[in-house]
Amino acid sequence: MSEAITATDRPKRWSVPFSTEMDDAAVSRVLGHVPFNAMQPENFSRASPLRELVRNDMRLRQYRAGEIIVREGDYGTSAFFVMSGKAEVVLSPDLPTRVLGRRDAPSRGLWRSFAQLWSNAREDEVLRDRDAQGADSAEPRIILQDVPQILDRHRTATLTTGDFFGEIAALSRMPRTATIFARTDGTELLEIRWQGLRDIMRGDPALRAHINRIYRERALSTFLREIPFLRHLGPEAHAEVAAATQFETYGDYDWSGDYKKLAQSGEDIVTREPVVAAEGDYPNGVVLVRAGFARVTQRFGAGHRTLNYLGAGQIYGLDEIAHQWRKPGQPVSLQTTLRVIGYTHLLIIPTAVIHRVVLPSLPTRELPPLLPEIESGPAAETRVEAPVSRLSADRMDFLTENRFFNGTKSMVIDMERCTRCDDCVRACAATHDNNPRFLRSGPIQGNIMVANACMHCADPVCMIGCPTGAIHRDSFEGEVVINPVTCIGCGVCANQCPYNSIRIVETRDASGEILVASDAKPILKATKCDLCLDQLGGPACVRACPHDALARVNLNTLDEFVDWLHR
Amino acid sequence: MTARHVRTLLLFAGLAVAADALIIVHGKLAPNYPLLAYVTGWIVLGLCLYLTAFNARKKIPFLPFVGARHWLNVHIYGGLLAAVICILHVRARWPSGGLQLWLCWLFIAVTWSGIFGWWLSRAMPGRLSTLGGEVIYERVPLVLRRLRDRAEAISVATVEPAGAATLAEFYTHELSPHFAAPADFWAHVTGSRRPLKVKLQRLTDRRRYLTTIELKAADELADLLRQKDQLDAQRAGQLLLKAWLFVHIPLTYAMLIFTAVHVVVVYAFSGGAR
Repeated sequence: MSEAITATDRPKRWSVPFSTEMDDAAVSRVLGHVPFNAMQPENFSRASPLRELVRNDMRLRQYRAGEIIVREGDYGTSAFFVMSGKAEVVLSPDLPTRVLGRRDAPSRGLWRSFAQLWSNAREDEVLRDRDAQGADSAEPRIILQDVPQILDRHRTATLTTGDFFGEIAALSRMPRTATIFARTDGTELLEIRWQGLRDIMRGDPALRAHINRIYRERALSTFLREIPFLRHLGPEAHAEVAAATQFETYGDYDWSGDYKKLAQSGEDIVTREPVVAAEGDYPNGVVLVRAGFARVTQRFGAGHRTLNYLGAGQIYGLDEIAHQWRKPGQPVSLQTTLRVIGYTHLLIIPTAVIHRVVLPSLPTRELPPLLPEIESGPAAETRVEAPVSRLSADRMDFLTENRFFNGTKSMVIDMERCTRCDDCVRACAATHDNNPRFLRSGPIQGNIMVANACMHCADPVCMIGCPTGAIHRDSFEGEVVINPVTCIGCGVCANQCPYNSIRIVETRDASGEILVASDAKPILKATKCDLCLDQLGGPACVRACPHDALARVNLNTLDEFVDWLHR
Repeated sequence: MTARHVRTLLLFAGLAVAADALIIVHGKLAPNYPLLAYVTGWIVLGLCLYLTAFNARKKIPFLPFVGARHWLNVHIYGGLLAAVICILHVRARWPSGGLQLWLCWLFIAVTWSGIFGWWLSRAMPGRLSTLGGEVIYERVPLVLRRLRDRAEAISVATVEPAGAATLAEFYTHELSPHFAAPADFWAHVTGSRRPLKVKLQRLTDRRRYLTTIELKAADELADLLRQKDQLDAQRAGQLLLKAWLFVHIPLTYAMLIFTAVHVVVVYAFSGGAR
């Protein structure tokens, strides 16, 4: 292995700015605009002064009339501020996908795939020019062809100068909730990278309050539209439900640190999780999980066993409330306890509103079934969705205690099939320039190992604190990927990851020499599984396993995992 | 019965039907077509080349071929089918010439090493999983060193406070060789617990001579012995899972070389029979 040393500049937070076009004039123009002109530069830290935030984490973009700015369902890591002109939000119905110009994720061609046989680096962790993904990289621009017809057929809302949008995706690490296009020619937007938005909000309480308020309002209205049991409501009833709904946030935005401390302390984790609704209590309302996760538990002996966990879009408490409504003479208490895990947004629709507005709107066939034999004790286990009940309580506890429900592409290995041949590791290395991007080790329960491979989390806490935004969601499928060019190797993401799935490595140049900064310390980069995004055929680890022992499954919903277990 | 068991049964049934059909067809054609051996020979060779390609497929995981698990299935059942056709090719007779005999032995060895590997890859993972103490094979030396360092530290640490070297001497003479390197390979391969029991019994026999401080350390050493045994068992199982391929693959290539010579010889000395 080569030991030679190459001195170079250590990459810093703003080594690769969001745009190279933010000159002094552009920065001054932004700073002269409301609300930036009211911000106090002294409130910003010396590491991220306001002017530099504008220069490096923002860019001005011009849009033509009809040009799509963001698409519903795409993952985005930036928010927008309307400098001038107008933008239109498509509220409902959604635009058909054919007009949105979606394309397949870019992947290597057959020849480039085959060429990896001889073109892979001989040394490990060689930083290639091809890794570069400049911030200004060309993005396709899509123009809607018939704007008047869209305005005629779809309910829309207009955003004008001074409005913010895109903050939900930027701050909650979730997909864009609506498609937005420019209404007028020359609409000028200020696009703000999420880490810049985060720092601006830290330095300006007024903007923070404003963004938080619109975030809650928009998240509430967006989410309620997606709840199946509310779809029979008319506009007025919908508004009544929205007005009565409480928006509650639990846990820390950066929950991984607390979780790691708790896990290391050896304390009973379940009893430390905040209780939203307790078994045996009167049901105060239906709880809807907007983002994050909650655990459904039931008393068992001297402890609590996990029956299920709920992710975004799932509900709690409707069965008991519906039972009370259908059998007013038989009051029932909650059969299970709901505890929140990590950073969780909940919406709570009060019982009175459910009784008066929601349940009468439901057709009889859509009403939840009556609870069986309440007096004989909690019957929740029998009511849990079928796929979940096929998992043992021990396995549910294992998945929950380790927070594995967060993974959308978790690597699970059946240890009773795995011959420890490491074909998966070799395949991973072969498709990543001879660098494996995961460890075939990790927590084991029974015959199942959840390996230390990036799970592409529903809530990727690794992204919190990344100073450059190098770790981000791919806009197409939402995979969490690292841009090696903007990664400065600070290690924040690796420390944040609760699953030990990110490695910090020393890098080499094309000749195999270790890259060393002017301070004589090696240049580091964060690396992890990228789910073989640019490879033909999907994750090489799965395709390479000869014994059907390895799979990438969504542990958010469990259905896929249960199917795989019983394959 | 799981879906996988059903699939395996169906595949076996399919293989049995195919083998039966081949035997019947071959039995009917053989008397009238003296050159049928050429056909069956080329089919066996083609199958063997295809089966060998499985190893090549593993080297190029970036190409969008079908998954390795499907390849392995074809490899297993194709291999069994190749064995049936090979028996038809030699007309179920033991070959007479030296080259043919070597080739026949190699084919048998490749087939049986493959069947052994297949059985091993189904039986051993479950045993390793039940054993616990999962460890990546390449990390075994690291874990072993940690165990050895702890065992040494525990035994040495008793000398001064206990005012006796009984346990330390026992460790030096009886246990240190065991902690120095992986041990008891064959016992672990066969699933025997005897080596661990013997060592624990020796430690138990020595307890009557130990001070209170040494007794506590002896308990810790017993725990380390169990961990070492678990590590040795993991290593033995994983080594066996890797090692059988070092038999199967070289034998395969040797068989292909002999097959090439066999083809040349057959065509060179067929005397116009083809």
